[in-house]
Amino acid sequence: MSASGATAPVPLRLSKDGPDRLVIEWDDGHRSLYEWQHLRANCPCAGCREEREQPPDPFRILKPNELAPLKPAHIEPVGRYAYRIGWSDGHDSGIFTLEFLRALCQCANCHK
Amino acid sequence: MQPQGAAPQKLALPNIKYLVAVASGKGGVGKSTVSANLALALHMQGHQVGLMDADIYGPSIPTMLGVTNVDPAAGDFPIKRHGIKMMSMGFVLGGDKAAILRGPMVQRYLVAFLTQIEWGQLDYLLLDMPPGTGDAQLALAQTAPVTAALVVTTPQDVSLSVARRGIQMFRQVNVPVLGIVENMSYFIGDDGKRSHLFGQGGGQKLAAEAQVPFLGELPIDARVSECGDAGEPVVKKYPESPVAQAYMALAKSVDTTLKGMQPAKELPGLTL
Repeated sequence: MSASGATAPVPLRLSKDGPDRLVIEWDDGHRSLYEWQHLRANCPCAGCREEREQPPDPFRILKPNELAPLKPAHIEPVGRYAYRIGWSDGHDSGIFTLEFLRALCQCANCHK
Repeated sequence: MQPQGAAPQKLALPNIKYLVAVASGKGGVGKSTVSANLALALHMQGHQVGLMDADIYGPSIPTMLGVTNVDPAAGDFPIKRHGIKMMSMGFVLGGDKAAILRGPMVQRYLVAFLTQIEWGQLDYLLLDMPPGTGDAQLALAQTAPVTAALVVTTPQDVSLSVARRGIQMFRQVNVPVLGIVENMSYFIGDDGKRSHLFGQGGGQKLAAEAQVPFLGELPIDARVSECGDAGEPVVKKYPESPVAQAYMALAKSVDTTLKGMQPAKELPGLTL
């Protein structure tokens, strides 16, 4: 009996599909597609989750770094189980587990 | 010693061949005892070994390996004793001082122990993990290239149920589970008969259920705690004892299993 690791799918390759989308190719053959905005809108960090639970504040004053269009600045592995995405407004506390990323997939098959 | 700078995202430790977490989830099953004796057993079998005490709040390695009068200000780390190199929060704090720290600082210290200590070339760096599935485990899973986790349990159901959670945690963070070792498996009486004081077969059952190797049983022996308190592990002080022989067998099993294991793949990156 061999030492057993994880059996859940893991990414083989990450790439960009134009300026607005992330592609993840998984070892089970699935090809995930994500709009960067979709990922930011579903940031799992505690601050973003709390903000999403609150009603929007129409009188909120935007910070200077929120005035420019939001773009991803960097994406890097966290251990062997997640990715952290950093954004152009400086936000980078969201850790997207592989399981969560699969659940967020926007490909035609997952969005049926 | 102070952790320097922001915690890096992911460490590369090319001088360390195998980084093995000795873990459980459950407290009191003997992780530190197993870590100390396994480290020495591996050394006695010819390997270059380091032992890092990842239990920031309750460091046991200084006592178990007889290194209790370290001057933190001298900063001469890692400490070398019994042929192995070691590092512990107990050396940094000195005496019986408590580490009153929140999670992010625990991570900083653990990363500092890995990166600011001159470990040199090692075949094995064992990480003596604290109980639980929290900050220390997550910090190491996020930043360190852990080769595998060795899960320690005792035979009782109460230990097994928590050890299961520990295995599940390692699976979720994609750290391979090397196998299960069952501590306090049996007691050998003067008549040579084995008594299973804490039940029987639990470790094997857990290994089968989790589909990981069962790497061995370690008997109860009063000399284990005597040696732990005296700072000279039983594998060194009583090498002919059944428990020392069991640790030597465990060290061989660990080495064989690791050599046969496919290394875990690191996740691909993307430059934006």
